[in-house]
Amino acid sequence: MSLAPASRLARPGRRAAPPAVLAGLGVAAVLVALLAALSGAVHIPLADALRVLAAGATQPDDILWRNVLLDIRLPRVLFAAVAGAALAIAGAAMQALFRNPLAEPGLVGISAGGALGAVSAIVLTAGGFAATAPAAFAGSLLATGAAYAVGRRVAGVAGLLLAGIAINTVAGSLIGLLTYMASDAQLRDLTFWSMGSLAGASWPLLAFLAPWTLLWSAWLMRQWRAMNALLLGEREAQHLGFALVTVRYKLVVATALIVGPLVAATGGIGFVGLVVPHLVRMTLGADHRWLLPASMLAGALALTLADWLARIVVIPAELPIGLVTSLVGGPFFLWLLARGRRF
Amino acid sequence: MAASLLKIVAAAWAAACMAAAAHAAQDAPARRVVALGGTVTEIVYALGQGDRLVGNDLSSLYPEAATKLPRVGYYRTVPVEGVLALKPDLILASDQAGPPDAMARLREVGVRVQVVSDQPSVRSLQDRIRQIARALDVPERGEQLARSVDAALSAARALPESHARSVLIMNRTGTPLGAGGGTAASLVLELSGLVNVLADQEGYKPLSAEALGARAPQVIVVPRLSLDAAGGKQKLLALPGVAATPAAANDCIVVMDDLLALGTGPRLPQAIRALKETDCVARAGQSPRPAG
Amino acid sequence: MSLRTIDLSLSRNGARILSGVSLAVEPGHVLGLLGANGAGKSTLLAALAGELPADGGAIELDGATLARLPLRHQARQRAVLPQKPSLSFDLGVHEVVAMGAYPFPELDPVEVDELARAALDLAGVPGLAPRRYPELSGGEQQRVQFARVLVQCQARRVPGAPRYLLLDEPISSLDPKHQTELLRTTATLAREQQLGVLVILHDVNLAARWCDRLVMLGGGTVVANGAPDAVLTPDNLRAVYEIEADVLPHPTLPGRLLVLPR
Repeated sequence: MSLAPASRLARPGRRAAPPAVLAGLGVAAVLVALLAALSGAVHIPLADALRVLAAGATQPDDILWRNVLLDIRLPRVLFAAVAGAALAIAGAAMQALFRNPLAEPGLVGISAGGALGAVSAIVLTAGGFAATAPAAFAGSLLATGAAYAVGRRVAGVAGLLLAGIAINTVAGSLIGLLTYMASDAQLRDLTFWSMGSLAGASWPLLAFLAPWTLLWSAWLMRQWRAMNALLLGEREAQHLGFALVTVRYKLVVATALIVGPLVAATGGIGFVGLVVPHLVRMTLGADHRWLLPASMLAGALALTLADWLARIVVIPAELPIGLVTSLVGGPFFLWLLARGRRF
Repeated sequence: MAASLLKIVAAAWAAACMAAAAHAAQDAPARRVVALGGTVTEIVYALGQGDRLVGNDLSSLYPEAATKLPRVGYYRTVPVEGVLALKPDLILASDQAGPPDAMARLREVGVRVQVVSDQPSVRSLQDRIRQIARALDVPERGEQLARSVDAALSAARALPESHARSVLIMNRTGTPLGAGGGTAASLVLELSGLVNVLADQEGYKPLSAEALGARAPQVIVVPRLSLDAAGGKQKLLALPGVAATPAAANDCIVVMDDLLALGTGPRLPQAIRALKETDCVARAGQSPRPAG
Repeated sequence: MSLRTIDLSLSRNGARILSGVSLAVEPGHVLGLLGANGAGKSTLLAALAGELPADGGAIELDGATLARLPLRHQARQRAVLPQKPSLSFDLGVHEVVAMGAYPFPELDPVEVDELARAALDLAGVPGLAPRRYPELSGGEQQRVQFARVLVQCQARRVPGAPRYLLLDEPISSLDPKHQTELLRTTATLAREQQLGVLVILHDVNLAARWCDRLVMLGGGTVVANGAPDAVLTPDNLRAVYEIEADVLPHPTLPGRLLVLPR
């Protein structure tokens, strides 16, 4: 038995028990979802809302209320939750892949590729959601694939990073070119697309997106050991039996498949993938076994809350969701960094 | 036999009643109207129906009363719940309004959505006036307005044309843009008997100093908000390419109200008249084109 | 049964680092790898760790070519402790140690906990389990990493199937007491559990004290290979380290040598 020497850092670490945090996040997410579903531009008294949901439409106003609750708000709240969870877990995966807390899915070209696809659809075709969404998804997959293929030629994860930067730059220039060619109306559409929106939420969309996202997220969560091992270092991860090329490939593919359709359906929503895993790490530590599910819950909570704000701050108008996440997330993030907390 | 005949008659009578009721419901004049589109709103007021409006969009800048109403946002990204919160029974939507998803959703929920033509042409303006008037149940007023706009337009167009070379410069984001062909601004210039030096350009594009220098416009038209954004007349004149134009030399800068210059609305005749009656515009057409 | 290289040649970035190196890490023995800076020790360890393919010669694990064995398979038989473990993320000590069991996902959490606790004990830091890794001092961190590789060596141990442990300068951050403890633990485990150990050391005396066999590398080739008294000679020391030294029988430890640089 040896005496442990005095630690270098003054503040002893204390991390909350993971199961308690997960439960807390789950409860909070459900509560916020309820709040978001029960409030919005159309004022529905609580008692009436519950009555209409339970018993159906009996009074004249009920039809409108039922429509608003079931066809507009509920799919939107669920969409926000699914999107938030997906962005957060993808962010956590990228941070593990690059061993850097500043990483997020955009680094490998997913967002820029998606934007390029969407811009191409808006400017070069008749546009409309029907064309924009598949184009954005295709764009994000192509960009990520290109970044991965080129990045493999350079050893280590630096190759992927550099290729991602290059792809982002190329996509950015092409977007600029297409923007120049765009008509006034198309320009407006582009601007709003890039600010992000959850307004496209509908039950058919959710029927695809929710299972798809949950499937790939569950698969990502099973890679928690590999991600923890990566934290030790690339060599050490290999010594523990994880082939780096395989792990990198899996993480990039999963991220692209999770985030690609989201970018297609929502436009650009920033900060969730960067800030949410951070906050979770500060509370729970970096063990991915808990970090990944907790990020999903926290991401769902954060985006549902942000969307709620977007819908009620300037009634009857709505703020673009990407604007809210940047306006709130940016300064908040700066504040966290200024406090000097550990990652 | 009589019983079944009676039943048939009763059913037919009930159906007729329901149809009549539905028809009547459709015909019931809308009291809570939301207008999406700057000139759509303007026309509603011009038809004397402004008090039926309960909301409009961010581009509805004229008349002043319109700016006091709740705004649902930009007409190309309309929030469904926001519009529903105003409890509209009629939505007058420019054909540029969107997203298509939101418009469809509003219809699904049972709100009457009337889409009106909103293209930069005189024909579209006429159609728009008539479509809006019909939707608001005041077709006679619509005819009246359309005819008076027509008459004013003819009168304005009958004024002497100067065929001066002109350009419209717009500035919203810091980069000055020139109005090319196919825009409402270009239409105003052409109807005013002016030659748009950027007519072969498609839409609004960043201003090319060289092109401006080569094409030597004698008249520059600027929307008011753009002039403010550019920092005032002196700053505008100092822009590269602008300073060397005949327009700058003769101080022929015409400032116009935004909706007047950039939209095709019922005040189109006024815009044309304003341009034609500006001294320097009338004079400009008489000076010979510079060689080269 | 051994982890060995046969006439290994290896180049990196065009420069030849190792030429014709043959050595064998045998279960139950501690093999010390000595040599001056740049002699190729870390490269040799990396080759044995499966990171670098051989340009010439062979690297074999229990008779099978290392390059043909899947990484997971290798990890279940061989653990590597790197020279400068770099972990900047906030993990708990227990989590770090438990990572040694990752090549054995079939183990249930109770067994992993048991292994982790035992390993922390062996590493001499049982009290650190509830702490956060980034808060520890360099020496504590090194011992926690040592516990991690111990877990990897001891998980699912089957008599007759040897395990191998490669240590790259494992004592650089430790004070003398802990240096001794770590090396003593290693030697004991090697003997008792048929563990084959390769350890890179700079301190020749520690090598003399704790290793059963020594290999001295000079300029990428094997200068000497054998029992300490055969390897640690003034001539070899001069050739490899360019120092003048006397080698004496250890005054208090029977059978051991003491090297005194002049």
